[in-house]
Amino acid sequence: MVQNYKPVQPIWCPGCGDFGVLAAVKRAAAGLSIPTHEFVLVGGIGCSGSIHNFMEVNGIHALHGRLLAQAVGVKLANPSLTVVAAGGDGDGYAIGMGHFIHAFKKNVSILYIVMNNETYGLTKGQASPTSEIGFEGNVESPFMSILTALSIPAPNFIARAFSGDPKGMTAILTEALKFNREGRGFAFVEDLSPCVTYNDMYKLWREKVLDVSTLEGYDPTDRKAMFRLCLETTESGRIPIGVMHRPKVAGRDGLEVKLVGDGPGPVRADIGLETNRAAYQKLLAGLS
Amino acid sequence: MSPAAAQIAPLPEQSGSGSPRPPLELNDVSVMIGGQGGDGTLTVSDLLGRYFRKKGLYVYTSRNVLSRIRGGHADASIRASQDPIAAVKSQVDVLVAFDNEAVEMGKTELASHGFIIYDSTTFHIAEPHSAGFPFATMVGGPLGQPIFKNTAAYGALSVLFGLDPAQTRAVIEERFKRRGGEALDKNLKALEIGRKAALAMPGVENRYSIASGDAHNMILTTGNQAVALGFVVGGGRFFAGYPITPATEILENVQRYLPAFGGVVRQAEDELAAINMIIGASYAGARVMTSTSGPGLALMTEGMSHAGTAEIPVVIADCQRVGPSTGQPTRHEQSDLSHLANLGHGEFPRFILAPADPVDCFDLTVDALNLAERWRLPVILLLDQALSQNTATSPRFDLSKVRVDRGKRLTPEAAAKLAQYKVYEFSSDGVSPYAPPGTPGLWAEVTGNEHDEWGHVSVNPSNRLHMMKKRMEKLVHARSELPPCRFYGPPSAKIGLIGFGSTSGPILEAQRLLEHRGTPTRYLQARTVFPVPVHEIDPFLKEVDVAYVIEHNYTGQFARLLRETMPWHHAKLRSILKYDGLTFRAPQIVAEVKGVA
Repeated sequence: MVQNYKPVQPIWCPGCGDFGVLAAVKRAAAGLSIPTHEFVLVGGIGCSGSIHNFMEVNGIHALHGRLLAQAVGVKLANPSLTVVAAGGDGDGYAIGMGHFIHAFKKNVSILYIVMNNETYGLTKGQASPTSEIGFEGNVESPFMSILTALSIPAPNFIARAFSGDPKGMTAILTEALKFNREGRGFAFVEDLSPCVTYNDMYKLWREKVLDVSTLEGYDPTDRKAMFRLCLETTESGRIPIGVMHRPKVAGRDGLEVKLVGDGPGPVRADIGLETNRAAYQKLLAGLS
Repeated sequence: MSPAAAQIAPLPEQSGSGSPRPPLELNDVSVMIGGQGGDGTLTVSDLLGRYFRKKGLYVYTSRNVLSRIRGGHADASIRASQDPIAAVKSQVDVLVAFDNEAVEMGKTELASHGFIIYDSTTFHIAEPHSAGFPFATMVGGPLGQPIFKNTAAYGALSVLFGLDPAQTRAVIEERFKRRGGEALDKNLKALEIGRKAALAMPGVENRYSIASGDAHNMILTTGNQAVALGFVVGGGRFFAGYPITPATEILENVQRYLPAFGGVVRQAEDELAAINMIIGASYAGARVMTSTSGPGLALMTEGMSHAGTAEIPVVIADCQRVGPSTGQPTRHEQSDLSHLANLGHGEFPRFILAPADPVDCFDLTVDALNLAERWRLPVILLLDQALSQNTATSPRFDLSKVRVDRGKRLTPEAAAKLAQYKVYEFSSDGVSPYAPPGTPGLWAEVTGNEHDEWGHVSVNPSNRLHMMKKRMEKLVHARSELPPCRFYGPPSAKIGLIGFGSTSGPILEAQRLLEHRGTPTRYLQARTVFPVPVHEIDPFLKEVDVAYVIEHNYTGQFARLLRETMPWHHAKLRSILKYDGLTFRAPQIVAEVKGVA
């Protein structure tokens, strides 16, 4: 083995919800026997975005809000890689919102994990897009990512997990990674990840989370039913968790499949001049 | 319906009465066709261009359009010459007007021997050298639609220039063969209607004759098309962009060519996404590019800083237009240079290459891909509106100079032999070997945070110094590998001209005019504009008494860069500037050089 990058100790506060995500990602990846050199973790900016520093995998630390665009680029360039983008709620739902919405639409087979703590922890506790009204003087309505995700008619995998339920989270991430690796498209998992320093919600969230699969009428292939179920659950004061959407038909709908198919893709294509000379000459000879 | 009376004044060189007036021979002709958007002015330009190219002439066409889909005044200009040209002619020889606005706009540029052909359906003019034909009604009756008026105008022009009728017809067949059937038939009829009317009009037939040239087996292309082709043959396989004038055709052309080579092209949701998608793809190991113009460049600045410090190779084509903000999206300027030379938060190295013509665009795009990967940094291809969008007769693009240099890229075999792999390893030239994700036994840990050699986030001051030097000194180490300047004119000349980009076209033409008038000059065309090639420009400036830096902006951005890097030449440098949205005409440069020298 070549002497290589060594993961460092997490910078997170003891008890941070992000530890749960790190552990679940490791377990899910190990469970699926994904080779570490084919695993790419794209980190955003904020406490959660440093997750790639703590694993023995390929990592790229993106700009604030831009991790999805970079992750999409990685996957489309080399579809044989397993690509996970991970960041916080500010990264994904504030500065990165444009890319967030478009990620569903693009449906590239990558997994996006948003560690939602409803605050900007690293900059010391300001309100975030998901903060409740009243938190740190917040007067804006909180953003509800699952409802937004369900509103985009694309064959995505959509789920919400809770750091206080590591087993449930591992199951969800495992399904999401399998979904990606089968080329089925974009997987979005929001994890409720309490910030023990600025917004410690462990106790409250543990009381409020509700596994939607236990509810009557639960059908994750029915977008309309799930939207209603999630909205009603939220309005009743509970927090819906579980798998919110998976496409009815298990097709290889990932954008990388549509663009590259079973071809090598941009990275593994032979770009040598000699290999391509005849085709290049034909292309140039076609000009008039 | 009879054509309106022509108002013909004798040509200056016409002599004697009764003898047939000889045609005025033109070996460098320009035609401007103006009207409302939708009048088909571009088609007339295209048809003439096809004819002129069959005669072996060099062709250069430009468009003056408003930033709207339909309507509004639009004009197309075409120039054809026996000599290679890459500039708009200073005067218009023939003006074709479909509305009065075209006459008002065009007649100020009309040569004294010039002539106006106009559609007299809705207006009449009292210009001395003009002929009105009611093209719209002439074709509207027999063909059922007035839209063929542009082809009728082409027919009238063919008579005015004494063009060969069979060849004139062949051009129509070539242009409309794909649409075939009725479209071809009606255009051929419109051609004859226009020709007959012009033959019947006194003073029109054979008013001019057009010389032949030897520009055969060449292509008519644009800088944007050349960049797209250079990207493909240079091994580019991932492209993301966002539509913006005047860069859009790069995205469109790459979309056309690249999928056949297993490449991926995406239209991103914005320029932030475009630059970050190519960063991701480059990190993964693909050769990448994006294209944009001023406002998009501003958004990409964030990503370019990231690529700079994370040492991720990216190529960005910036097709400059009039700024700031939305500015004049369809107009020409070279005012992004200062921004590009200094762009980004913090400091990082970048190269800026400035091609002058389509072949240069093709070659420098290949160079940009190689340099980006060889030095692991952002490389900017600096184009301008005229270079991006004007069409020019160009030699065919040539694979003989193309090479693919992946620098210190590690193959899986080479990586497997390493004792250790540091993604940011210090080295004598500042470049670290790179193994992308997917290389067995390795992990690529890349970050926009300051980092140590392993890719660990680091705030260690000593490490920071080393990393800054590692990155910044690439500017010094790479110097000899950057595209060299080109020099034109006698080395003994004491007047220097300096320029970059499409300004080379009018500068070279001005140089010929100056030479004819007994003022030899030496022209330095900078192809690397950043880092400033001091090793080439300093000796050049030492040899001349004065150097005019000719560019399209208000503040003399390249001149400022030269003064900053070579303050000892301050007194020799003078600026010739143009920032009205139009390109230089050669005589405008000549006037400034003569005025001061």
